[in-house]
Amino acid sequence: MKGIEFFRHVTVGQYMAGDSFVHRLTPATKYVWLLALMAAGIAGASLASQALLLGIALSCGAAARIRPSFLLGSAKPLLPLILFIAALQFVFGAPGDDSSVILRLGPLSFTAYEARLTAMMAARTVALIAVIGLFTAVTSESQSMHGLEDLLSPFAALGLPARRVSLAAGIVFRFIPIVALELESIVKAQASRGADFGSGRGGPIAKARAYLPLFVPVTVRALERAERLATAMDARCYSESGVTRYVEYKRIRGETAARIAAIAACAAVIAIGNTLRIFGL
Amino acid sequence: MPLIELRGASFSYPGNLKPALKPISLRVERGEYVALVGPNGSGKSSLLRLLDGLEKPSSGLVLVKGLDTAESANRQELRSAVGLVFQSPADQIVSTSVEEDVAFGPENLGLSRDQIAQRVDAALAAVGLEAHRRKSSHFLSAGQQQRLVVAGTIAMGAECLCFDEATSMLDPEGREAVLGLIDRLVAGGTAVVHATHDMNQAARARRIVALDSGALVFDGKSRDFFDPEGPVPPSLRKRLGLPDGDAVARAAGLEPIPGEQPDSLASRIASRLRGRSAGPGSSSASTASAELSRARADAVSAFVVESASHSYLRGSANEASALRDFSISIPRGAIVAFVGRTGSGKSTALQLLDGLASPFAGRVVSFGLDLGAKGTDLRSVRVRAPLAVQRPEAALFERYAGDDVAFGPRNLGLRGRELVDRVKSAMERIGLPYAEYRDRSTRGLSGGEKRSLALAGILAMGGEALLLDEPTAALDTDSRARVMAMIAAEAAAGTTVVMATHSMEEAALADLVAVFRDGELVALGEPERLFYEDYDPSWGIARPYAAEAAAHLGREGIELGSRPLRTSELAAALRGITAEVVA
Repeated sequence: MKGIEFFRHVTVGQYMAGDSFVHRLTPATKYVWLLALMAAGIAGASLASQALLLGIALSCGAAARIRPSFLLGSAKPLLPLILFIAALQFVFGAPGDDSSVILRLGPLSFTAYEARLTAMMAARTVALIAVIGLFTAVTSESQSMHGLEDLLSPFAALGLPARRVSLAAGIVFRFIPIVALELESIVKAQASRGADFGSGRGGPIAKARAYLPLFVPVTVRALERAERLATAMDARCYSESGVTRYVEYKRIRGETAARIAAIAACAAVIAIGNTLRIFGL
Repeated sequence: MPLIELRGASFSYPGNLKPALKPISLRVERGEYVALVGPNGSGKSSLLRLLDGLEKPSSGLVLVKGLDTAESANRQELRSAVGLVFQSPADQIVSTSVEEDVAFGPENLGLSRDQIAQRVDAALAAVGLEAHRRKSSHFLSAGQQQRLVVAGTIAMGAECLCFDEATSMLDPEGREAVLGLIDRLVAGGTAVVHATHDMNQAARARRIVALDSGALVFDGKSRDFFDPEGPVPPSLRKRLGLPDGDAVARAAGLEPIPGEQPDSLASRIASRLRGRSAGPGSSSASTASAELSRARADAVSAFVVESASHSYLRGSANEASALRDFSISIPRGAIVAFVGRTGSGKSTALQLLDGLASPFAGRVVSFGLDLGAKGTDLRSVRVRAPLAVQRPEAALFERYAGDDVAFGPRNLGLRGRELVDRVKSAMERIGLPYAEYRDRSTRGLSGGEKRSLALAGILAMGGEALLLDEPTAALDTDSRARVMAMIAAEAAAGTTVVMATHSMEEAALADLVAVFRDGELVALGEPERLFYEDYDPSWGIARPYAAEAAAHLGREGIELGSRPLRTSELAAALRGITAEVVA
């Protein structure tokens, strides 16, 4: 038997409250680390660089007293995706691939080059997931909003509305579970009226029409909520200029060093990885 | 100078010829407590929006502390002085953390960080949420969220708070907490304007302002408002209803005191009748219901649940247990009410009955079909016992009312004459005449009409049972009565009705009441037993007013000889006793 429950499974990381050095860094510094490590993960072109990146993420995690299993565990739901991509590699060969064949199955073959590509993709996914997991574990939702505001504030002179952007991001975070629950409730309401989504017969238009009973009410409700929130914000004098921010982040000792270290770590991952790649690692 | 003054202020929504408010003049003084009442669509919300300048009057003048609300230069001062609290708390919370949400208003006012901190501390203390200040706002209960919204307006420096049906989506405990907060605010010198459908709540205010079709029809003492000889048109009073204590007090020959709690009314009655109580009266009502339930127990069950457990996000770090070891057998043709705090498992229990939620342990049998068995077609189960979710009107999607009701039967394969007949009958049964409503625009219906339409969509499924999740929540007295009449009629026609409700007055109308607490079924029985002998305050539900007053009377030594659940029953019993005393 299968009940209807969905979307609530989507969680963007999970904040683990703590008082470590890593936790106490200002949100802006945490963003610098996030961006630096993600850049390293994307640019690092060898298995060694991804291993090093994962090592850095796990050590930072250890400093924040977050278990490696927590950071690695969030990659688990992506395992089917990784296997699926591996299967694609198996079925479709890369052009000009003349590396040795590891496994052959009828007309299909799996070569050393394909194995390397798959391993690289898997390692990069795991490392990046660990980095994002680390960031969300040490940064609360409101800190991530304020960090965004701080990072964008230098661009305010160019007319970028930092407060508006960070507030919008925060509201999106807050409303994801609310809208998800709303959608679930509407799906249940229509299922109670015998609606049968997905198995609609007929052409694409008929199929799309089958989703109208969901799409229309969810959109209407989201707009209604948006309007009410806007009214509530208006009633509390929302403005973007002449505003004080209640929460203040004091730079702790080593804040600047931590930011420099982030850039250094990024450079190290890319440099070491690409050097070792020459030696085939 | 009054705090707020309306001088012939009227209001029309743009593009709408009919004014939402006809010219109105009234004053709200500092520290005053005003209840704003009127049927759905009478203009209550529009009036509140005029008070803090969210809308500007189309004609006339609205002055707050002498400042014209039409002047945009006064915006900050107006919005700080008058705070608004709406129905749905989740839509008014801006920040993810409790204290930052309270700080949102003062931040916008550009106060210094120290001033903001002081205001946040004071506001959180005023609403009793200090312990939760660092929590994420979505971990608060609905009642706490509503108090958080109040804190946000207090921190703005509000001198008047306007509540717009602000307790209608809360459970009895959350409602009491917010009403208690209102009393404390008034005692502390804050003015409160409370728009409500609930006459028990309205009666708590000393002054009542009543609107009907956008016109001010009463402005005066609440005592005069509820006086049957008073100036309020009887038709309006009938639509709005009376406070629970009113009929009871009159039956005992006492002057009703608006807003009087059952315990104080009971002691007034007791001191009037002291020592002269009559012997036990007729108890025919309870005997009859005992026979009824015996007959029903013999009938085949509509639903049987055996040790079912359910949790949300099962298998994840955030797994939340919703229902544990739940067993119940619901007889065919019975009305069963599920009651309990928000989050106690009522909705989950309803959803188990038609397979919208599935238990990870235990068994659910719906009309003889085991929902867990392989090959059970859940769709046919759902059609047989359709569920109206909370606020089912949110799922309306067709442009015209009739088409929306037809959605379900059409999914069942009905076409042509048969379909029209089904839709027509469903709409008539809920009190929406087919000829008048079928071509009405769904969006243009009032809140109560939308709810009725959504319920008609469920009735049109022609199921053998109706599962209703808070079918009357947030409705006005009129629409509420219409929904309850439909439930009674359907049950009389043999349909099994299972409903979750926060209204104990409604639960008292059921054959069986199931009490949920923290995901467990803690009591199940006939309402007379549950609300008298078995009643346990730790359930977190209130008792019906009549039961509460009767229990206090019993403690005062007045034996009624029956167990009244409705105020009309209590009033009848009291009239009997008073007559004997007089004789």
